[in-house]
Amino acid sequence: MPGGRSDTAAHLPGDRSGTAAHLPGGTGGRGGAAAPRTLAEALRARGDKGLAALLRARPDLLVPVPGDMTQLATRAGTRASVVRALERLDRFALQTAEALAVAPDPAPYAVLRALLAGDDGDPEVAGALPAALEVLREQALVWGDDDRLRLVRTARELLVPSPQHPSPTGLGPTVAEATAGMSPGRLQEILAEAGLPNTHDPVSAVAALTGLFTDRVRMAALLDSAPAGALEVLDRLVWGPPYGEVTADPTPPVRWLRDRGLLLPVSARTVVLPREAALHLRAGRAHRTPEPLAPEVVPAHEHRPQVVDSAAAGQAYTALTTVEDLLREWHEGGPAVLRAGGLAVRDLRRTAAVLDVPEATAAFWLELAYGAGLLASDGEADERYAPTPAYDAWLELPAAERWARLADAWLVATRTSGLVGGQDAKGRTLAALGPDLDRGAAPEVRARVLALLAGLPAGASPDPESLLARLRWERPLRGGAPAGAPGTGADLRARLARWTLAEAELLGVTGRGALATHGRALLDRVRDGSPVPGPAPDSGPVSGSGPGSGAGAAPGPGAGSSGGAGSSPGAGSGAGADHGPGSGPGSLGSPAALLSPLLPEPVDHVLLQADLTAVAPGPLERPLAETLAVLADVESKGGATVYRFTPGSVRRALDAGRAASDLHAFLAAHSRTPVPQPLSYLIDDVARRHGHLRVGAAAAYVRCDDDALLGEILADRRSAALRLRRLAPTVLAAQTDPATLLDGLRSLGYAPAAESAEGDVLITRADAHRTPPRAAPAPVPDGPPLPDDTLLGAAVRAIRAGDLAATVPRKEPAAAEPARTPGGLPRTSAAETLATVQAAALTGSAVWIGYVNAEGTASQRVIAPVRVEGGFVTAYDHTADEVRTYPLHRVTGVSELADPDDPDDSA
Amino acid sequence: MNGPLIVQSDKTLLLEVDHERADACRRVIAPFAELERAPEHIHTYRITPLGLWNARAAGHDAEQVVDALVEFSRYPVPHALLVDVAETMARYGRLTLTKHPAHGLVLSTTDRPVLEEVLRSKKVQPLVGARVDPDTVVVHPSERGQIKQTLLKLGWPAEDLAGYVDGEAHRIELAEDGWALRPYQRQAVEGFWHGGSGVVVLPCGAGKTLVGAGAMAQAKATTLILVTNTVSARQWKHELVKRTSLTEDEIGEYSGTRKEIRPVTIATYQVLTTKRKGVYPHLELFDSRDWGLIVYDEVHLLPAPVFKFTADLQARRRLGLTATLVREDGRESDVFSLIGPKRFDAPWKEIEAQGYIAPADCVEVRVDLTESERLAYATAETEEKYRFCATTATKRRVTEALVRKFAGQQTLVIGQYIDQLDELGAHLDAPVIKGETSNAQREKLFDAFRTGEISVLVVSKVANFSIDLPEATVAIQVSGTFGSRQEEAQRLGRVLRPKADGHQAHFYSVVARDTIDQDFAAHRQRFLAEQGYAYRIVDASDLLAGGPEPSGRDDSPEAASEPDAS
Repeated sequence: MPGGRSDTAAHLPGDRSGTAAHLPGGTGGRGGAAAPRTLAEALRARGDKGLAALLRARPDLLVPVPGDMTQLATRAGTRASVVRALERLDRFALQTAEALAVAPDPAPYAVLRALLAGDDGDPEVAGALPAALEVLREQALVWGDDDRLRLVRTARELLVPSPQHPSPTGLGPTVAEATAGMSPGRLQEILAEAGLPNTHDPVSAVAALTGLFTDRVRMAALLDSAPAGALEVLDRLVWGPPYGEVTADPTPPVRWLRDRGLLLPVSARTVVLPREAALHLRAGRAHRTPEPLAPEVVPAHEHRPQVVDSAAAGQAYTALTTVEDLLREWHEGGPAVLRAGGLAVRDLRRTAAVLDVPEATAAFWLELAYGAGLLASDGEADERYAPTPAYDAWLELPAAERWARLADAWLVATRTSGLVGGQDAKGRTLAALGPDLDRGAAPEVRARVLALLAGLPAGASPDPESLLARLRWERPLRGGAPAGAPGTGADLRARLARWTLAEAELLGVTGRGALATHGRALLDRVRDGSPVPGPAPDSGPVSGSGPGSGAGAAPGPGAGSSGGAGSSPGAGSGAGADHGPGSGPGSLGSPAALLSPLLPEPVDHVLLQADLTAVAPGPLERPLAETLAVLADVESKGGATVYRFTPGSVRRALDAGRAASDLHAFLAAHSRTPVPQPLSYLIDDVARRHGHLRVGAAAAYVRCDDDALLGEILADRRSAALRLRRLAPTVLAAQTDPATLLDGLRSLGYAPAAESAEGDVLITRADAHRTPPRAAPAPVPDGPPLPDDTLLGAAVRAIRAGDLAATVPRKEPAAAEPARTPGGLPRTSAAETLATVQAAALTGSAVWIGYVNAEGTASQRVIAPVRVEGGFVTAYDHTADEVRTYPLHRVTGVSELADPDDPDDSA
Repeated sequence: MNGPLIVQSDKTLLLEVDHERADACRRVIAPFAELERAPEHIHTYRITPLGLWNARAAGHDAEQVVDALVEFSRYPVPHALLVDVAETMARYGRLTLTKHPAHGLVLSTTDRPVLEEVLRSKKVQPLVGARVDPDTVVVHPSERGQIKQTLLKLGWPAEDLAGYVDGEAHRIELAEDGWALRPYQRQAVEGFWHGGSGVVVLPCGAGKTLVGAGAMAQAKATTLILVTNTVSARQWKHELVKRTSLTEDEIGEYSGTRKEIRPVTIATYQVLTTKRKGVYPHLELFDSRDWGLIVYDEVHLLPAPVFKFTADLQARRRLGLTATLVREDGRESDVFSLIGPKRFDAPWKEIEAQGYIAPADCVEVRVDLTESERLAYATAETEEKYRFCATTATKRRVTEALVRKFAGQQTLVIGQYIDQLDELGAHLDAPVIKGETSNAQREKLFDAFRTGEISVLVVSKVANFSIDLPEATVAIQVSGTFGSRQEEAQRLGRVLRPKADGHQAHFYSVVARDTIDQDFAAHRQRFLAEQGYAYRIVDASDLLAGGPEPSGRDDSPEAASEPDAS
């Protein structure tokens, strides 16, 4: 589309007017290249790049892919899509759109510029305007060339001031709009008062008045003649809201203004300052403070980059140990999953106590581990949280790689731990790891915050308020909170940004508030559009292997693309022009490679001290750390680890199967310092007593004062089945029950006696065997029992009723003879059934129905309907002799009884 | 990145002692971090709010602290910790107590919201008067201590710049004839004087009395000295007469027996806290003279009521002396707010290295209970268990063996239970000092011990504090007040005074194996082990057999002889 190229290429107003001038002439030969008359035409005239830019900025237009330009234009004009696009505008682009909404449609570029820059022409605004307009054009919110700029109608409707939706410009309706319902006579009076000649019709009258208001010179003259107080009244309305209340008998200044159309009536008591007049008073500005330039992010502190890196690395290391501590704590199964999902508050509190962090921080670590797929619910019947198999794989990675996994997961996660502990719209507390924590904007805000940090010089930490101001400028409409209430936390984007700053610090992406080198590299990876190259290939197996970990792993690739998409409009809005997709990918190296040298090296030794502590002056190699963790209690963690040996911890090691000599050797091998005497003594002392008492299980024992006899039994090969073991010279323990043992010994030719628990010899006697208490069996006679009178009476009634149902003569319905089934069930249409039953209920008469029960068995019944409602009929069932409820849809048909008296007769 | 310091996330600092920069690091971190443990290789310091405020009071700022940590740290310092340090330190000095020319004592702030916050506290409201201006509020002069205590609890410690009254002048000079204050004592005096009020932490035997004397010589004003007991009072008097220009007549003793008020008055905590009919009749002592300096000996034992009186004495200079700021009741913060921040401390081992206190050999002797004793121990009532295992007959035999081993050296046998001590005294043929021993008798015995007339003395816990027995080289502890750490420190202090002949000191703890005695001993010893005084453990059987006990070559086959008891 060659014509379209001029559209995208023509950025500057000067250039633009030139293009516009010879558009009709020069390229006029082609039909499509004439000034577009509709958005669709304008789009059609765009180049492929222009269209691609539109679709990139508004990806919602692509779902589903539009069939043609008209469809694309229609979709771009739908309210939802326009709202979405407006929400993603930066403040100045939005202000430009707002200005266009109050400008005539179409508006020439000069008018727009005047609205934004004012009569005196703010050069900053004028300079920034072309770029802003270009953004609007690219997003198809504005179309048309510079002398006929048109805001898409939906956008105009959204942004134009109305009494219900006051515009941020604070402008009121135009003279024409405000005088729409006014009588022609009144209009002429206003003209006269304003010193204008009378006109023939209201349209020209409005035009004359508008002309006066927009003419700076004549308007100034008119206002000069205003009585005292009139200008004060205008001053109150000029920056909006433009509506004012008036009394039935207004003061002279108000009356003067009203008479001249400077205040136009809206209702009996309300007047409005017309837009043209307000613009005159504002020197042409649509906004009190146009904000053409993004507010700078102000550095609060500058640190040496090395200091920042090392602080961040320290925190990164802490992050790793914290996550490991957390998952080790849950090694054998963590807390239960709430029925509604998530972690109970009590468990969160406990976890926070274990990690020695505030609850909010604990929630962050939990969500981080969850988001990285290291932690998930186990999906068992009584669901618990537990580390995933991916955790074990993760543990095997080098420290820097482990960190990179966490950081990548964090960057693209839509789950926000900051919400934990808050309440959702229904007042339910949001649980950590629970549902409803996803916030779609989170990855985008995170990426933007980090990008803004990256924009500062290395080592500089930002002033958070300036950072928030910048974010608000970039997306003034997102979050919904007015800009006037910063820092209240109501604004989700601001909260997300604050959380991002705090979390980046916790995670070690930043150090002392400034972005660290490895954090910068991390950001580059996201920016390159191929998010998370590290874990992406692995996250498939992660989600596959751990049951229930799907939710955790899903944010990986999925949200990654949204993060990338989210950040690109930010880049497009002029904030980060330096990082188009072209900027060299991975120019700084991978985050892990940058972080790696800053992390402490694992050490293979400890320092043992006489106060029974061991200090590992750095992270220990894993096997060493594991052994030491059994042998001693961890007392203090951090860069180093302090272990304390206690009798309990030494016993634990002995219980774990280590001998005292092993422990001595282990300590001697790994200690840089001589093993202190009290420590050796402690180990020996505990070992001396360890296992002194032995506990085991035996099913029976044999004791005998003659140990030779016991030796004889043991030596007898036939006793092997009894699994006897000598505990003491006079005691054998057996793994068989006493009765078997007795029998076995007897069969060997001995004469053992049984012993009670108290050691008395049990006298063996033929004890009678008794059942537990049992009732005697009831006699089973040959026939049914004789019925009693009640039963008989009931039976008779039932038979009669059934008979009645089967034989009663019934009125045939008026319609054709209903099809009678072989079972003789009446058949009527549903409507008829309903009508008949309702009538019977009203009259209280009985009807005969055919009925099919839930098992499909058909029967006939005579019922007296009592109530018919909700598809059920409640009736006294003569057949069953009780009140029953029948679903109407199971009633095959209904017949009225011939005569209420008939049954008696027929009986 | 190869510093001697490792900063832990729980705010402990691990200092590798053998590192070449360890000394430099120690000097830099000492002002703000409390030395918690000083075993042989890695010393542990802890950063506490009190420590940081101490540092602020001494003129250090957060930037220095952070720089010190970052500079000497081997690994990156957790940012949260640095932030916390900066925030904690920034809390000190937002509020200051000053003397206003018109309104008297006022609390003023550089940060109005802080003042608003504390004024809203119910606990502060009764202590303050009218608002002078938005940043200043009048404080009732009588509540100067109270408000400092309260503000510290609220986490906004006030800097007290209201100054001190000079008190009644009195000439006091150090009589440095043939001796001089040791360098660290001089530093301690200067540190205290410069700071106005505060606590000096020196190990037992390092000459705290002289620091007190030095402070008095600086103040040159009437002084009230508060000590733990009468014996200690006498020793202070003795020492002051010897070391300063003060004469006996200028020093009064205010105790249960004597009630003298002189320019320098030494009072016991006990007499001050005596309560009669609900009032403290001896409180007037504080107002009886216009004291220029108040010295608190053994601050860690300061009884709670004395804190209350001290709160009313904030206009006077206060010097606290102690071997350890560890209080078993955890009232360190009251010491900070009412007496003052720590002005000086020197690690035990450092002073030992300078040769001012004797090196000590600490040995724990593990005694096996006999079979019948074990059975009796197992069946003893819970509250009787400790007493039972602490006083077993086997311990007596070991003690006797030890005394024999060090025959000729000045030996103290220290215990908790009177009957045990009496029995030991009878067996060792040594005098016993206990609660009922009169002061005159005590001093007589101490003198005899000092001169070497008697070489073995059996003492109960009355001798725990402040008695000065310069020539004791061996202490044998047979029982103690359960797991009291500071008692252990005090007892070790008995033998740490430098010996004239350069003898090594010996400290024996006799402990019954596999009983709660052993658990208590472990608890008590932890403090000393953390001070670098590691215990060796020997078996009583080895000792009795004259076995492989390194310093036990000189004796003694008679250990096998069974005493006739039991």
